[in-house]
Amino acid sequence: MTAPSTTDSEYDEVEAAPQESGRAPARRYGVLALAALLVVGLLLGYAGGLLTPRLTRPGDASVEAGFARDMTTHHAQAVEMSLVAYRSATLPEVRQIAVDIATGQQGEIGAMQTWLREWELSPTGSQPPMSWMSDGATVKNGLMPGMATPQQMAALRDARGIEVDRQFLALMYDHHLGGIHMIDAALGETDNAEVLRVARTMKATQQTELNNLRQLQEQAAKG
Amino acid sequence: MSISTPGGPERRPTVVSTGKKPAAGRPASGAKAASGKPAGSPRAGGKGPRKPVTPVKVSQGRAWGPIALFVAVGVLAAGIIGYGAWASFQGSKPWDKRANAIDGIVNIRKSDPDSLKYEAHKSGPLTWNYSPPVGGVHNAAWQNCMGDVYDAPIANEHAVHSLEHGAVWITYRPDLPQDQIDKLAGKVRGVEKMLMSPYEGLDKPISLQAWGYQLKVDNADDKRIDEFIKDLRVNASVEGPTALCNTGITATGTTPRELQQQPTQ
Repeated sequence: MTAPSTTDSEYDEVEAAPQESGRAPARRYGVLALAALLVVGLLLGYAGGLLTPRLTRPGDASVEAGFARDMTTHHAQAVEMSLVAYRSATLPEVRQIAVDIATGQQGEIGAMQTWLREWELSPTGSQPPMSWMSDGATVKNGLMPGMATPQQMAALRDARGIEVDRQFLALMYDHHLGGIHMIDAALGETDNAEVLRVARTMKATQQTELNNLRQLQEQAAKG
Repeated sequence: MSISTPGGPERRPTVVSTGKKPAAGRPASGAKAASGKPAGSPRAGGKGPRKPVTPVKVSQGRAWGPIALFVAVGVLAAGIIGYGAWASFQGSKPWDKRANAIDGIVNIRKSDPDSLKYEAHKSGPLTWNYSPPVGGVHNAAWQNCMGDVYDAPIANEHAVHSLEHGAVWITYRPDLPQDQIDKLAGKVRGVEKMLMSPYEGLDKPISLQAWGYQLKVDNADDKRIDEFIKDLRVNASVEGPTALCNTGITATGTTPRELQQQPTQ
């Protein structure tokens, strides 16, 4: 691009000047100004393109970041419960749904942690848990909605036989209810397409699993 | 670089009026020769420096060679850039758009979404509106779909659960020639979220299923098979990309199984 323009201007300068005095330089400046304008315009466009995703991505105190962090914590406990059930439950259907929940939610943790990295945010937030939810969901003893207490988790780990199934199903049922409450809050407050997509999948999955858990609870009640 | 050469010789003669011109003309014609331009250009460039040339003569003869070359390069560049843009646009199209563009695909998610709804897992034999089924109610256990190639029919009740987890299920008429079966198996083996089994009573030799999608074809060489797999495997999952395809049922037989109670602890 630069090569032709220099050649042309040389000719204009050396040869054309004597013939049509005045016109050539004016045209040259016109062309130069146009080229400069074009370059400036391209640079502005490029800078705008670079900056836009940076300016529009979720910030540290955003709903999206809060959801990703808190749902990671929430999911992590579900994975632990599910792996206990997968290892020790009696009913094969309970073991089956448990391992499905464990791998599914671990996968979702991976997605949420990737968001935080892409947004250049820490996986750890400075805000207290659940503060991103505007409806003021309650945190009891540092636990988000539906999460099991340390005592309940210890009891699940110590349980044997069909008792593992019963405790797991009850804990996971509450866990999913609390999870759906959090997902609904995120769905209502974000317009981030990727967060919406994953949150919708989470909600649909957990709602179906609630039905399956309830059905299994009846089965486990019989022993 | 190629842009400077056609510009030089074409322009120079028209403006020339003094003896200074040949000196300026030299480097341009030299550069032209070096870049190997076609026959049209040497005439104008080579003659310039030797004798004083009348402006009339030179301005008359347009250097068609460089122009043609410039146009050809331009068209080629536009073609390459255009194709690249088109390909990346196609590649970034959402999977459901690409799937819907497959000729002959049936999109049950759109045409009959209610058939895909269900309350909870169900044991025992089940029935569906589509054959083979493409979604809806299913057994608590899924059929393993870690690139499993089953040599006998499997239970729909388990296979539909695999579809829910994002598997593409290839079914074929038991009388399909062995070489075609092998070709299909080659697309399945070793690929997670894929399974394949013979199926009695198909109305076409081969039928592909994903959750809410179906495509029936006559031949294993049909290019749409690869498109279907590319667009719908994993993407069609109702439960996200990490829903399991292992720890399920590995046995064949069309009667749904109850999960075996395993000795634990």
